[in-house]
Amino acid sequence: MDTTICKNCILDSQIPGITINPKTGLCQHCEHYTPLSEEKKGGYLIKMDALFNSPPAGGKYDVVFALSGGVDSSYALYRLKKEYPRLNILAVQFDNSFISETSIENAQKFCALTKSTYMRLSLDQERLRDTFNKAALSTDAYPGFAKYRASDICNTCISIIKQKTIELALSTKSPFIVFAFSPGQTDAPFIQLTRPFLVWMRKLFDGNLKAMGVAEREEYLIDTRLIPTGSFDHQVTIIHPFLVWNYDKPAFKKECINVGWTDPGLKDHNSSNCLLNAFAIKNHLEKYQIHAYAYDLAALVRQGNMKRDDALKKLILNMSDASIEEVQRELNLKNK
Amino acid sequence: MSEIHEDIRHFLKTEGFLNEISSLQENDSLTETGVIDSIILLQLVDFLEEKYHIEIPVEMLTPENFDTLAGISKSIMKLTQG
Repeated sequence: MDTTICKNCILDSQIPGITINPKTGLCQHCEHYTPLSEEKKGGYLIKMDALFNSPPAGGKYDVVFALSGGVDSSYALYRLKKEYPRLNILAVQFDNSFISETSIENAQKFCALTKSTYMRLSLDQERLRDTFNKAALSTDAYPGFAKYRASDICNTCISIIKQKTIELALSTKSPFIVFAFSPGQTDAPFIQLTRPFLVWMRKLFDGNLKAMGVAEREEYLIDTRLIPTGSFDHQVTIIHPFLVWNYDKPAFKKECINVGWTDPGLKDHNSSNCLLNAFAIKNHLEKYQIHAYAYDLAALVRQGNMKRDDALKKLILNMSDASIEEVQRELNLKNK
Repeated sequence: MSEIHEDIRHFLKTEGFLNEISSLQENDSLTETGVIDSIILLQLVDFLEEKYHIEIPVEMLTPENFDTLAGISKSIMKLTQG
């Protein structure tokens, strides 16, 4: 069967669920796309300024920041502190046991640069690897569309990070959590966390882990004792600054390098910090015939945040990469 | 009520969360049947706010109100009728 690529973005007719209109040459996402208005974006900035310029008092930190040490989160931390210098930030780097040494150095460097408190969040490494093994072997542990958003391995890793950063914000009574998701990865710039929503989020991820066959799940989930039973004595809001600021990855990388960020030199086009990522993409492609970054990249192209040719290049994966085989071995998975 | 159901079904299909032949019933759990998760829920909320010119209070985001087509429709009706 011939493959037709959307004329506007990078999604193609071979991806399950994608249809290309023969008349327009566009995929259904491009056909229904409505750009974010300048007025709406301006409103987001006013709201973000208001929140970060006057954080509620009483918390140990103002912001719990999810820092991977890659380009996006390093830049977001740097810019956040530059624009809101009074913020007291706890930057949390999750050690998924596959982060590169360079990304650890980068994270620590950017914490020193921004006078943020650095925290390396480590969980039981053997159990983590077993969980990633189960994610790799699982099918349909996540809902339909989640498969387009990220690989099963990355969905698992990101969900753990979310649960643990929320837990940290609750335990330190910090009002804000910042994730440096790209505008292709999320649509909501602000998410206010309420008790029912927290309980629901926790239950959903618990269900995903259970479907994968993960027996010991509590370590990955928000500690229920920290979820307030009555009315919230402090509100926690998740903020995604890249839905407010313009997103220009090459410019971010340049600025990061200027202030001391080092490129770890991974061959993976889609991650500058995680050694697991390329294997996760390969595993996902084999299971669902979906490139885990296709939707993210397509959205960035649609929004005008990335050139189409650059996005197409990022879809190329070297399946024979030695690092992929190494990860496979470390996860006790047989080579296909 | 059925108009709201159709709007939601249409949104879920257009965004690729639901396939064309899905027979989602009004009391089926959207999360347990794997149609949405917490992130997609927020996209749905955004769509509903725009579509019906309403603001959905975060306190309303509970499984009772937002995990089924019937629950969502009831919540929208409540908000649009003040």
